[in-house]
Amino acid sequence: MGKKEVIVTVGLKEGISDPEGKNVKKALSLLGFKEVEEVKILKSYKITINENKCKDIDEKVKAMAEGLLTNPVVHDYEISW
Amino acid sequence: MKPEDINICILRIEGTNNEQEMYDAFKRLGTKPHLVHLNELSSLKPYQCLMIPGGFSAGDYIRAGTIFASRIKSNFMDELNNFIKEGYAVGGICNGFQVLVELGLLPGNPKGNGTITACLSRNDSARFECRHSILKHVSSKKCVFTSLLPQNEQLIVPSAHAEGKFLLSGGKKAYEKLEKNGQIIFKYVNYKGETNAPYPWNPNGSPYNIAGICNKRGNVFGMMPHPERSFFSKNEHGYSGKILFESVVKYIGGTF
Amino acid sequence: MSDVAEINLEVSDFELKKISEETGIGLSVDELKVVQEYFQKKGRKPTDIELQALGQAWSEHCCYKSSKYYLKKYLFHLKAPQNINVIKEDAGIIEFDKDHAYAVALESHNHPSAIEPYGGAATGIGGILRDVVCMGAQPIALIDPIFFALPTTKSSVIPKSVKHPKFIFSGVVDGIRDYGNRVGIPTIAGMTCFHSGYLGNCLVNVGCVGIVNKKDIIYSKVGNVSDYFVLAGGGTGRDGIHGVTFASKELDDDSATASRSAVQVGDPITKEPLIHACLEANEKKLLTGMKDLGGGGLSCVVGEMALAAGFGAKVQLENVHLKEKDLKPWEIWVSESQERMMMSVREEHLKEVLKIFEKWDVPAVIIGQVIPEKRMELTWKGDKIYDMDLEFVTTGPSYKRPIRPVRINNEHNNYSEPENYEVMIKTIINSLNCASKDWVIRQYDFEVRARTISSSLVGHINNETHADAAVIKPLESSQRGLVFTSDVNPNTVAIDPFWGSAGAVDECVRNIVATGARPHSFADCLNFGNPEKPDKMWEFSQAVQGLAHVAGKIGATFVSGNVSLYNEGPAGACPPTPTILGIGIIDDVDDIITVPFKKEGNLVYLVGKTRDEMAGSVYFNLRSLEGGKVPKVNPYELANASAGLLELANMNKISSCHDISEGGLILALAEMCIGNGIGASIHIKDLLRGDISLFSESNTRWICEVESKDSDAFESNLQAHCTSFALIGTTGGTSLSITHNKRKLADLPISELIKEWQAPLWEIMG
Repeated sequence: MGKKEVIVTVGLKEGISDPEGKNVKKALSLLGFKEVEEVKILKSYKITINENKCKDIDEKVKAMAEGLLTNPVVHDYEISW
Repeated sequence: MKPEDINICILRIEGTNNEQEMYDAFKRLGTKPHLVHLNELSSLKPYQCLMIPGGFSAGDYIRAGTIFASRIKSNFMDELNNFIKEGYAVGGICNGFQVLVELGLLPGNPKGNGTITACLSRNDSARFECRHSILKHVSSKKCVFTSLLPQNEQLIVPSAHAEGKFLLSGGKKAYEKLEKNGQIIFKYVNYKGETNAPYPWNPNGSPYNIAGICNKRGNVFGMMPHPERSFFSKNEHGYSGKILFESVVKYIGGTF
Repeated sequence: MSDVAEINLEVSDFELKKISEETGIGLSVDELKVVQEYFQKKGRKPTDIELQALGQAWSEHCCYKSSKYYLKKYLFHLKAPQNINVIKEDAGIIEFDKDHAYAVALESHNHPSAIEPYGGAATGIGGILRDVVCMGAQPIALIDPIFFALPTTKSSVIPKSVKHPKFIFSGVVDGIRDYGNRVGIPTIAGMTCFHSGYLGNCLVNVGCVGIVNKKDIIYSKVGNVSDYFVLAGGGTGRDGIHGVTFASKELDDDSATASRSAVQVGDPITKEPLIHACLEANEKKLLTGMKDLGGGGLSCVVGEMALAAGFGAKVQLENVHLKEKDLKPWEIWVSESQERMMMSVREEHLKEVLKIFEKWDVPAVIIGQVIPEKRMELTWKGDKIYDMDLEFVTTGPSYKRPIRPVRINNEHNNYSEPENYEVMIKTIINSLNCASKDWVIRQYDFEVRARTISSSLVGHINNETHADAAVIKPLESSQRGLVFTSDVNPNTVAIDPFWGSAGAVDECVRNIVATGARPHSFADCLNFGNPEKPDKMWEFSQAVQGLAHVAGKIGATFVSGNVSLYNEGPAGACPPTPTILGIGIIDDVDDIITVPFKKEGNLVYLVGKTRDEMAGSVYFNLRSLEGGKVPKVNPYELANASAGLLELANMNKISSCHDISEGGLILALAEMCIGNGIGASIHIKDLLRGDISLFSESNTRWICEVESKDSDAFESNLQAHCTSFALIGTTGGTSLSITHNKRKLADLPISELIKEWQAPLWEIMG
């Protein structure tokens, strides 16, 4: 079996306020980066799995994202590999 | 049941750290609390009440309460659903509230299929906030944890969390429904008792100032602030965090 | 034996210096010559692991080689009847009640925090918790005094290699918050202090107090020959290698990158079960000794535990569980990886101990055994790689380093009174060292464990003022409380280290007494510059004498502490900072006294004497004035006044009380008004000029609110204790108005005071 690295990126859904992002934006502008328009916080998980069937990988990682890594009320996610 | 026959399971995993004060609260009322590590829990049968204490279960990594919730799900979700169906009491304080929400038990949905319909999301201030909150008991419904506390009575209870903003899927309608069902138990207020008091009275920015809710039946309850930390600090009418523990003990004593 | 190298010390001085630098052991040429001689007698060359162990054991941090002369001479002999076991162990043990004792520890984590503020501060908390747990005590409170350059410092004045103080400040607070909150111990007290001298040299001092049943007290020494050493907790890795040698030199431009590996990584979620497991094993009487792995790693811990009992040890180093592969034996031996504890266990209890750790999912392994001779022997996969006499390793050098007194300038030029007192008062209240620290305090969970009676914030919700001291009720079954405060004013210590240090002890006592508690013990964390510089060494020696001047005379002594030297960076040395943690006892926590005014129409008294002692005051600093006298302390006056106030507190004759410290009388009054939104009319009559009267920071002073029916009792009691006092006004109204010798100086609405006092840190830090 081959190993595969998959990245799951979790972010807040459109319309859900992102206080951490806002805070970082404020901090950046206090440091003089006035050109920053928006900061959004994303969280990435690099998952190494023993599986090489593309279809299975996709399904499994989706289940991980929906079962643990996100709360569907506020989160969107993206899988890339 | 007499208090001394009531067995309360206070569930812990690594990182839960409010279990001792929860234990003390129930012990003071003459019941039998038990600190049980999730690894050691074989059955809920001996217990009439399950409490999930505050803390940072599993470090709150991923999201607050998520890892604890997923470990409960994989270990004994069916048993927990039956426990609730039989009318036993389940309470979650702070991180425990987050766990119950991540289990889909709060606010709960009619199908009871564990779909998550709410989230305790990052405070608007984007930081951990430790401050005293004034809570108003806004529900007339008999939640088993507040049955002894008259409606509109206020408590002073410490809040200490970074993720306590209660968000519900389904927008305004969903909140209205929750309100109509009497499931909203506590709201953050100011000294005047106003339920729209802004930050810092509402420490996390929860819509409608929601601080604590229960399921439709009233036997599953969660709140962000810590009643076990204000067990002795009475308000002018003589109510303190103690009343919540007395309520649930009375409920169990009278029902089973 | 390819994992271990022999090192030839039969070389020139120049080569010896090079060896010290290349191996990072930080020993001087003279010290290396002592090592050379020792191995000449043995007739062989030392191995790298032996040299590294000596480097650790003989570092300033581990053996106090520059400081112990003065500490022994002035502080260590002070005695108090409540002390059970003090100075000698990781934490001091003091009697709490008939059956219980409390454990106190205070440490610095300055150097790691300067390089990596988040991890440095977090692991500081981890270390101090272990110091308390290894006495068998349950931690109940964390106390964190922290010191930074002003977060408003302009980037242009900051040296290239130094991080911006705002970044350091917020990183340190984040680290303390994330570790302390996660591990579930309340961060209940502390101080946040800003001074330009901390640029590049932040100080992060961490204190912890625990409670222990007297029968469960355990010490850092093994029980008997053939006891096993059991190492529990996280794996050993490369993190924290040379932490102590790193803490024993100045930071330079390269420190930031070169020293990253000296900073450990914290893991509160491993720590929490580790605490439970250690305490459980101890309560079941399965351990003969316990010690945490802190500075110096395994090397220090095994040696000290064995030698303390008059024995030695034999260790199989390959048994140590690792978190990364390919560590060299010497790296394993000196690594300061976090979340590790060492226990000594008798053979018949081994199985049960290992079982407890298994239950808590905490790794635990047997790494060695106690031997009768005072010798340490290490093997690595069967080969002997280390064999030294423990007394040689552990004793270490001791120096009486040269000192050079610095002349203290008491003169000051004439200066005018402020044109507008209201503006001056607002400037003081609004200055960073005086303003509200709730931005910091509220990030810490000060309520967890539900034993907090009073935190650092008191008064109406969301308008709280600063408390003098925090109060915890440690036991479910007893009303008795412990009271915590930490104090030092680096501004006065920098001008006059003797009186400044004496003042820090005075302030601790004031704060404890203001809460209604008896002073019971002190811990000190002495943060100073490079001891090889005679003027810095002089500061240290003066400070120690200043501490002793007060501590011996008020019934409480120093029970534990830490010395942190070499706090110097590219921007210079930090101001000398002897941080004092003061602990008091109150018999019934329902009787505590708090700062905010309680009721309109009560009397306001000033207790103690205001003097023209303006040096180092906030007022002088804000006006850029220099010179003047530093506030002195008369310990007998302090003892008398404290006794009088505590008698009054016992009789319930004091409604509220606040000590007068930084910011002077005016800040104390303002803070008392802010808490409950009750104003006061103050009329001061004295022979001083108005600004001296309001802004002097003379020691041994308090403000008390007293009901008028109690005024006779209050006054006669203080007279009986030879303590001066003055009735200066009444509470009430919505403003703080001040007249001085009938001249009206200010009338400030409380709402405005609250705004000025609350805003500054939030505006800067967001």
